[in-house]
Amino acid sequence: MNQIWIIAKLEIRRAFFSRRALWVYLLALFPAVLFFGHGISVQYRRSEYAGKPVTPAAILDRLPVGTPDTEALATAGQPISDRKWRRRDINRRSMQYFDGSNRVWLEFENGALKSTTRRALNSFEEDSKVYAGVFQFFYLRLAIFFGCLGIFINLFRGEMIDKSLHYWFLAPVRREILLLGKYCAGLIASAVIFGGGALLSFGALLSYQSSADLQNYLQTDALYHGTWYVLSAMLGCVGYGSVFLAAGLLLRNPIIPALVMLLWESINGFLPELLQKFSVLHYLQSICPVAPPLDPNVPPLLRLILAPAAPTSTWAAILGLLALTALVLYAASRTVRRLEINYGTE
Amino acid sequence: MSDDLILFHNVSKFYGDVLGVNKVDLRIPPGITSLVGPNGSGKTTLMNLMTGLVHPGNGTISVRGVSPFAPEKLMRILGYATQYDAAPRGVTGFGFVLAGLLLHGYPRAEAERRAALAIETVALTHASSRKIAAYSKGMRQRIRLAQAIAHEPEVLVLDEPLNGLDPLVRAETIALFRDYAARGRHVILSSHVLQEVDVFSDQVILIANGMIVAEGEIRNVRDEINEHPSQFLLHCQEPSRVAALLFEQAEVLAVKIDPEGRGVLVTTRHRDAFAAAVQRIALSGIEIDGVLPMDENVDALYEYLIGGGK
Repeated sequence: MNQIWIIAKLEIRRAFFSRRALWVYLLALFPAVLFFGHGISVQYRRSEYAGKPVTPAAILDRLPVGTPDTEALATAGQPISDRKWRRRDINRRSMQYFDGSNRVWLEFENGALKSTTRRALNSFEEDSKVYAGVFQFFYLRLAIFFGCLGIFINLFRGEMIDKSLHYWFLAPVRREILLLGKYCAGLIASAVIFGGGALLSFGALLSYQSSADLQNYLQTDALYHGTWYVLSAMLGCVGYGSVFLAAGLLLRNPIIPALVMLLWESINGFLPELLQKFSVLHYLQSICPVAPPLDPNVPPLLRLILAPAAPTSTWAAILGLLALTALVLYAASRTVRRLEINYGTE
Repeated sequence: MSDDLILFHNVSKFYGDVLGVNKVDLRIPPGITSLVGPNGSGKTTLMNLMTGLVHPGNGTISVRGVSPFAPEKLMRILGYATQYDAAPRGVTGFGFVLAGLLLHGYPRAEAERRAALAIETVALTHASSRKIAAYSKGMRQRIRLAQAIAHEPEVLVLDEPLNGLDPLVRAETIALFRDYAARGRHVILSSHVLQEVDVFSDQVILIANGMIVAEGEIRNVRDEINEHPSQFLLHCQEPSRVAALLFEQAEVLAVKIDPEGRGVLVTTRHRDAFAAAVQRIALSGIEIDGVLPMDENVDALYEYLIGGGK
């Protein structure tokens, strides 16, 4: 253990600050930037509507379909905005109100109310589903995937390219220990970067919610969701890290394992159940605390790729992922024992 | 006994279809042993084999009783300064040597003391806090040597260790090798600058095309190759007369007057018979000032053995 820690300590600075891994930070911070940006726009919208006249929702709800626009005006008062236009021989009119938390549009055709559309200034429920979607479809599938590719594949392959791997092989350390030490260095770096990125983006999601929504969430699911988002990001690093560490030992070109792995993860839903268990994403999807929304209009093929294959229980997923990681690391340790220094062929 | 030796038994190594070394049998005793051969002859492969950086396709290797497949044991008794000029990115000279010692498990304070001592030994103290990337080639050579000796190994393996060193540092480095050898340790080094190794080597291993051509002490190696003629310079005052007398000796292959006027150059296959003939000439009253072997160095052996393929 001591040697593993010494190797990890020696290696960790490079894993964190490698020039090659600069883009890893960009990937990790992207969701946080996205939600902070969204938060700023929500705050701006709130301040914009703060000075607008409020029409109680009960009044707007009382207007049935077919209500003449003149009657609606008399009942609800002057709208925030009032647009009229003519299209396909139909006179159209859209009156916008604000009920204190929602923007409400009364849509008229030829002077009669056709529909009422409500849109909240901000919906926590909607945002949390969007967050779940961004987390699963971008963060786990792409950011952590490619981030781990950048960090872990360089642990051995980068040293071969730099012609400095032999220094490690000339240390009085079993090759398996060296592998574990380097893996730990990559894991610490990636878990901090992507676990931190998940935490930051989750914080960004909460930062602009209304105090009522926030209080309610903090008292119910916030801790559970936040913990599992961070944990699933870290477990993603555990799984993908082991795969890319092994790939760095076996293959010269990182593009090949990345594409093969990406393809494998994408078609996982089509595979027999046994093969599905050899996928990192298969387990990660089961660990995520909120199922991402899938638009009903998503094409069936894409839906198959995006939907979880066969969800398992959280703990079974964790154990499965750890078992898969152990299997990959075992195979990598067999490879590293046979690995020779032959920079001439790199 | 084998715990004091480096042993290669029937070792072969191929890189795909390319021969590295073939059917090598070696017994290397403690002392300074030089691997000599042209580029691509297999010197580095031999060193990489004995340090476990590459693995043999056939045969077995033992370094003082330890298998190269057990780096956790081997690297405690072995230090290897490779020919690879790269160093880990962004690291200082001191950090580089220190990292190696920390991997050996030394406590930090002890590791720092040893690192400083090793760096002082190779005369790089003034540059130890600078990044290796800013070092000259000679400095990089020396810092690799410092890392190799920092844990006081029993076996020191050095690939082309004198390349890029200035004369003063070269002399100090050779003195270091001698000191190591004097303490019963192995110093294995390679060179293709042949003249520099025959001065201080205890043993020489000549290698060409992946095969061991000869091994042993330089003189013994020379004796083994009795099918090849030896050349001597007889310092004398009457070179023409001595040359005429030597022509009559059956064991003498060729005689010529030294163009530099030092005496007579004689080529013979039979050193003992030639020595007896010289003695007879001297006893006949002709003054012989001295007999100097002209080819008892690695360069000459090398020329003989592998056809001058320097």
